[in-house]
Amino acid sequence: MKTNHILHLYHRIGFGLQPEEIKRLQTKEKAEVIHDIFQASKKITPLYIDTSFTNNLGLKDLKNKKKRQALMKVSRKKIRELNGIWIDRLNKPSEILREKMTLFWANHFVCEDKNILHVLQYNNTLRKYALGDFRAFVKAISKEAAMLKYLNNKQNKKDSPNENFARELLELFTLGQGNYTETDIKEAARAFTGYNHDFKGNFKLRKRKHDYGKKTFLGETGNYFGDDIIDIVLSKKQCARFICKKIYSYFVNDKIDNDKIEELTTIFFTDYIIGNLMKHILSSDWFYDETNIGTKIKSPIELIVGTHHIVPFTFQKEKQELLIQKLLGQILLLPPNVAGWKGGQNWIDSNTIVTRLRLASVLLNNAEITYSDKDDFKAVITDFKKRKRKRKTFIKTTTDWNDFEKKYSNISNVELVDVLITAPISNGTKELLKHYYKLSKKEFCIQLLSLPEFQLC
Amino acid sequence: MKRRNFIKRTSLATGGAFLVPQFLKAFETTLSQVNSYKKVVIIQLKGGNDGLNTVVPFRNDLYYQNRGNIALQKNQLLKLNGEVGFHPSLAPLQSLFDDGHISIINNVGYPNPNRSHFRSTDIWQTASDSNEYLQSGWVGRFLDVTNSKPYRAIEVDESLSLLLKGNHQNGLAITNPKLFHRLLNQPFFDNVFNNYTNDKHLSEHNLGYLYNTMIDAKSSASYIYEKTKTQSSSVDYPKNAFGKQLKTISEFISSEIDTQIYYAGLTGFDTHVNQKNRQARLLKVYAESIDAFVKDLKRNNTFDDTLILTFSEFGRRVKQNGSNGTDHGTANNVFVIGKNLKKNGMYNNLPNLDNLDVNGDLKYTVDFREVYATILDKWLSIDNVKVLNKNFSNLDFI
Repeated sequence: MKTNHILHLYHRIGFGLQPEEIKRLQTKEKAEVIHDIFQASKKITPLYIDTSFTNNLGLKDLKNKKKRQALMKVSRKKIRELNGIWIDRLNKPSEILREKMTLFWANHFVCEDKNILHVLQYNNTLRKYALGDFRAFVKAISKEAAMLKYLNNKQNKKDSPNENFARELLELFTLGQGNYTETDIKEAARAFTGYNHDFKGNFKLRKRKHDYGKKTFLGETGNYFGDDIIDIVLSKKQCARFICKKIYSYFVNDKIDNDKIEELTTIFFTDYIIGNLMKHILSSDWFYDETNIGTKIKSPIELIVGTHHIVPFTFQKEKQELLIQKLLGQILLLPPNVAGWKGGQNWIDSNTIVTRLRLASVLLNNAEITYSDKDDFKAVITDFKKRKRKRKTFIKTTTDWNDFEKKYSNISNVELVDVLITAPISNGTKELLKHYYKLSKKEFCIQLLSLPEFQLC
Repeated sequence: MKRRNFIKRTSLATGGAFLVPQFLKAFETTLSQVNSYKKVVIIQLKGGNDGLNTVVPFRNDLYYQNRGNIALQKNQLLKLNGEVGFHPSLAPLQSLFDDGHISIINNVGYPNPNRSHFRSTDIWQTASDSNEYLQSGWVGRFLDVTNSKPYRAIEVDESLSLLLKGNHQNGLAITNPKLFHRLLNQPFFDNVFNNYTNDKHLSEHNLGYLYNTMIDAKSSASYIYEKTKTQSSSVDYPKNAFGKQLKTISEFISSEIDTQIYYAGLTGFDTHVNQKNRQARLLKVYAESIDAFVKDLKRNNTFDDTLILTFSEFGRRVKQNGSNGTDHGTANNVFVIGKNLKKNGMYNNLPNLDNLDVNGDLKYTVDFREVYATILDKWLSIDNVKVLNKNFSNLDFI
């Protein structure tokens, strides 16, 4: 495989590739490389965090206000920890494609919760189905405790229906706006009545709250349950099209090519197996078209993890790991709303672009950043004089430059450009780089990581 | 190597051969002239200010029945008329009120209210329906529609809120023009961006977008820095973060930069527990800062052209809770401050405490987007439909 194709592939299904790996793959054929990627992602390794503090607890403990508050406090702390555990996983994944897909699905089936048990279970459900059967996936999601809470389906009862989940299921998860009516939403909501969960997060149907009556949904009538609604939705080709479009814009190019979408839709619609769809995309010739290489704006997480792939670093403070994500506009496990992060050019504004371009200096070279706590609604302010809107800090990291020197020892500064950057480089910058070639490899690397070109993959 | 040396060395590496800065050229295009001298300052009282304890209906028994421990007594209040009074902390605003420079719009909200801080803030900032998830703010869309430079809307903060994010253009977040300018004009950035020659094949590419955003940011930072560096307000502002924000805005306004919309916020209003002292302190900070700000505007003859809008993402529940605080509610009052208000004082009727929703919250009577529509149509002279995507009727406070 060609070097730039290998790099393109691994930037999209992962976060870049080490020189040693590039070298190993150069002698292989594309089909073999892709086969190996899928083999490696067959396994499912759930994220793990110790939740033993909930072992002897049950629903009755949640009814006691004091106990509940104490529990929630620990839970919130655990969720912050889980953010770090997830990032660590992305830094050193064995099932690289599965992990990248998990990240994708987390921004498709968008959900947020405060209960660590349910957050962890939800996250691992995303991981489990990431390459699997989309049909089973949607059904599983509809029964996840975190989702039942997030979109109020817990409150969806026969006598007082709540349409929130049904609406988002159709609008954001499967069909897209304009492909159903308000009546379809109402009827679908009835099919999902009575859904609930136990303390641990297992699905429970409250039979007395379920509406067993006939529903008419997308032109079909029956005594439907939620799963039946999902089957009807998936029988529409539009559902496959909607998902293919989203996958294409995430993995291929945010400029949509309708012919390609139709090609993918036909394939996905036959079995709804996500892995098959992905294999088709990655094996196609058009995936490697020049117009698709180095065109995507990295998400903050891709940027942070991508940087880590080149020069490993660890945050000394968990808080600062979250702060960096916040400043860049993407905190894992804390999506802005059910529509998720919009992505693409929406990551970029005058402030985030500066933070992005300075990221390498901040993370690897101890540069200063300023930030504020403006969105802290709960802030209790005792001394207004002391409280400043603007704060300055240094992000404390431990940086492993030795690892970098070792990995890139056989690579010259000139070669480093092509190994680290897949985007075309603007003419002015190309000229500029010539002046920097004589810098040490470490310095040169920081310069490269500070270029707008490094923001793309 | 120390960072300082590192920068020095890398900046020297170009041999000092700078091209003419690309960004200077970008400034020849000017804003549309229609009413571009009109300014709007938007202030959010974050956390959900208790409107009922801000503008207090002291003749209403229901108010006292629901607010046992935290009600404000009649003799504490600053009477605005025979039935309503300001929270005592708003004393600095009384003369503004008496001069007819404040319009208080009651019961502002939206259908199917959401009681989450984050979600309701999004709704207010994006001007969406409560079940609609927009990814652009109404001020951002104003920038889109007017084809503006980022600095036409400025948030005085370190990061940009959804409010100022458009579909094609974003506003600017800035607290200190000097620092922002310095940050963006490091030698390395100068080298990279001054060498950028709008390569044709990149104009449609995301890379072109990145370069142009940075060049825009650099030029905006230089523009604002150059324009404002000699400005310094002579009015004394309260020495706290909010006062500082308003001082910065005043300096921006008097420097005559082409910024039309400013956004600032004061946080801490989430008063679930022991509300009385906390709200009193916060409202004092608010009122004293606004007072200084208006004095400053008057001194610079810019009060005529400046409208100050204050809102909160929601009000609070009518009935107090068990911890001498209040829980998240719905509709709330909005303050409009300006010199030539068409209708000042109480714009509309006080909230009806006798007709609450199932949660015991106020029912809105004015959609918050009608307030925006009015400002867009009558103050900024731009068809509100273009920004709000739906037609909202105008109010007549201006």
